[in-house]
Amino acid sequence: MSAVRRPAADTLGGHILDLDDLGVVFTTETGPVQAVRGVSLHVAPGETLALVGESGSGKSTVALAAMGLLSGNARATGRAVVDGTDIVGADEERLSGLRGSTVSMVFQEPATALDPLTRVGKQIAEVIRNHRRVSAADAAERAVELLRRVGIPEPEQRARAYPFQLSGGQRQRVVIAMAIANEPALLIADEPTTALDVTVQAEILDLLRRLAEETGTGVLLVTHNMGVVADFADRVAVMYQGAIVETGPVEDVLLRPSHDYTKRLLSAVPRLSVAEAGGTARADERADGPGADAPGAAPAGQPAVELTDVSVVFGRGKQAVHALKGVSFAVHPGETLGLVGESGSGKSTASRVALGLIAPTAGSVTLFGADLARTRARARRALRAGIGVVLQDPVASLDARMTVGECVAEPLRIHRGRLSGRERESLVAAVLDRVRLPREVARRTPRELSGGQRQRVSLARALVLEPRLLVADEPTSALDVSVQEAVLEVIRELQEELGFACLFVSHDLAVVQQFARRVVVMRAGRAEEQGLTSATLLHPETDYTRRLLAAVPVPDPVVQRGRRAERLATLAAGRTEEQG
Amino acid sequence: MSTYSFLIRRVLQALAVVLLVTVVVFCLLHALPGGPARGILGPQATASQITAFNHEQGLDKPLPVQYVYYLNQLIHGDLGMSYTLNEPVSQLITERLPKTLLLTVLSAVVGLLVAVPLGVWQAVRRNKPVDYVITTLSFIAYSTPVYFLGLILVLVFSQVLPWFPAQAPQGNSVLAVLSQPQGLVLPVVAGAATMVAVFSRYMRSATLENLTEDYVRTARAGGSRPRAILTRHVFRNSLTPVVAMLGYYVPVLFGGALVVEQLFNYPGMGLLFWTAAQSSDYPVLLGCVLVISIATVTGTLLADVLQRVIDPRVKAGRS
Repeated sequence: MSAVRRPAADTLGGHILDLDDLGVVFTTETGPVQAVRGVSLHVAPGETLALVGESGSGKSTVALAAMGLLSGNARATGRAVVDGTDIVGADEERLSGLRGSTVSMVFQEPATALDPLTRVGKQIAEVIRNHRRVSAADAAERAVELLRRVGIPEPEQRARAYPFQLSGGQRQRVVIAMAIANEPALLIADEPTTALDVTVQAEILDLLRRLAEETGTGVLLVTHNMGVVADFADRVAVMYQGAIVETGPVEDVLLRPSHDYTKRLLSAVPRLSVAEAGGTARADERADGPGADAPGAAPAGQPAVELTDVSVVFGRGKQAVHALKGVSFAVHPGETLGLVGESGSGKSTASRVALGLIAPTAGSVTLFGADLARTRARARRALRAGIGVVLQDPVASLDARMTVGECVAEPLRIHRGRLSGRERESLVAAVLDRVRLPREVARRTPRELSGGQRQRVSLARALVLEPRLLVADEPTSALDVSVQEAVLEVIRELQEELGFACLFVSHDLAVVQQFARRVVVMRAGRAEEQGLTSATLLHPETDYTRRLLAAVPVPDPVVQRGRRAERLATLAAGRTEEQG
Repeated sequence: MSTYSFLIRRVLQALAVVLLVTVVVFCLLHALPGGPARGILGPQATASQITAFNHEQGLDKPLPVQYVYYLNQLIHGDLGMSYTLNEPVSQLITERLPKTLLLTVLSAVVGLLVAVPLGVWQAVRRNKPVDYVITTLSFIAYSTPVYFLGLILVLVFSQVLPWFPAQAPQGNSVLAVLSQPQGLVLPVVAGAATMVAVFSRYMRSATLENLTEDYVRTARAGGSRPRAILTRHVFRNSLTPVVAMLGYYVPVLFGGALVVEQLFNYPGMGLLFWTAAQSSDYPVLLGCVLVISIATVTGTLLADVLQRVIDPRVKAGRS
């Protein structure tokens, strides 16, 4: 994008999107909520404006308002002009004429964005025929062409597929094909890559960039990921509590932020230290980071949990899925082992094997020195009392009908049945102190708490038995960066204090790099490589890890530009090699 | 799983269920107080007459033996003789079943034709006066016993307003029954009422749920009009759970027919079952239950197949 700079961002009057003092109020049971206030911004043709902010900042609401897709209980004020038409107050017929033709949208969740019962080619053709008088056959032909353009292999066959027969990345390509079907002047992308693996994310961003460049489409990119911003945007608008606090060219905002909130937000973003791309590893790595003590030394003593040559097969016969193939690793007291890999690589399965929830088909699991296959049910139960678990979704993993106090006390009831009610209460209060939650939350229900607070409740529940092993499966993936930072900080401190071993499953390489001492990179059920985080994630030995790292966008537009060029060059080289 | 092996498996399952049903019902019926002899010979019959009757009918043999006899006859298409009507049960059922099928299928078709659009309409106009009115009527229809509803229908549309006859057509064949369509109106309405109430609720909630799905937003973002989104996407998606329910609704339909036929004096299976139950006519009762259970099992089988047709994910085992 740097090479092919498109028309200057501030072409007067030629904006494809113009928001002027846009406000959105939601009518809720507890009264009106002002979600967006006084938002003014514009997007010029061929330009990408990134709208960033944390959850609840109102960025998605702005995007939906620009499409006229706000829910029924929302009321918009001000002006949202798309190609000369004010969306605020336009009737549905007028909006239908614009949507999918002048302005279109790509959504966050490719798993649910498509009608499950309609073939994808037909869904694309529908968008075409909404706006053009073409025959069904012509539209179907054009749909195949679009599938080819968004990089779906064998588009003729794929057009006849149902969404469930496609991967997440392919589904997102279909949604993009629908969005560009009528060559819109404005494309609104709401977290288009959040649900995807990094390698797929890089491909989708490449695709969006190429399409926007080819047609001079203006893009409004809504995202929370500063790496994606650095990779894609020309300008950035930062939203906080419904208002824009800072707008400017991407380099200014990401490298020289002026507003306090932007500074705070950027400092909370975990940054991947990179050795490649000219050694521009940022200096804000923590000095007390992982691997700081005794680097390279193999941990001594008995591991808290050890998997030896573990294989897991689900199902049998032709439909058998080999989820794990000969995986070995160990987590020692006081250390954190990061388990990384793309979705489907087996990292969550491996963590469940470590918990004793899945029995390995082959190989052995040793928990606190005891072989799980040889322990009786009762002994296994006692061993499990030594494990704490934190899962990804803090909403789903806490019982909504229990108070926070009951949730946290439950492991005590199960494993320390002899405690009196008062003893239990004081233990709960103590552990709430530890995760830095006020003791009063014990009387509230999980739904009254914020996402970060809920995840701390999960952590309190995991730690109340003073476990020797903490298994954390994507514990911060559902959280904003600032909240993520606080939660990780709490885990780190408690680990120092209590000395538990931690198995940390994550898709986020930057977080693992900061948080884990050693790392196992998983790929298709195998441990592709493992070692000290400081070595493996900086100087990987395998191509796979290298590709994985190269696909992570870093929140520095200058560095990211270099990384992207390098990645694309590697890809191109690989392609020529294959052909030659 | 291929459709072929799926069908074979489901049919085998269905047969097993039917067999199990015959065992259960056979045992249950024999556990009822007041044997058939008392029912047929009347309260004045002497003990020796009853013993003789039981011996003649094989009713003094152990239950398993009686059941094996019954099953053997069953395989040869012989459902035994009715104690009271002195006719083969198979003949009674062949005479009556088509009429009951006519009544239930008509009721189901009418019920669905009303319920499905009604539910969609309610979902589109949710929390508007129309929705509230229909919801209220549905709850009334659902909570009113069929026989009471039937009586009201007769009172209003036959007595006060002489629009329809109070008695169903008495013809012996389906064609004869169909030749007097006005006589079918009240029985069909009575049979369909509950169905309308239940299935409009299903359809309403399924449609409401689907209207909030992400794919609806995607379709809107592509410029599809609300009506097109409803007919092309939401309708089909909402229909899948309703189709699944349909299979389980078959026994309820037959249960309804039992009451409706009695009420309108319609000579179908329901009436046959009713009179047989009153006189402990075991062979007839068992025959009816067998037929109804086959119908139920077939209904769920059809619903499963229909679901595979509508939803490609079911076939792939991903739903």
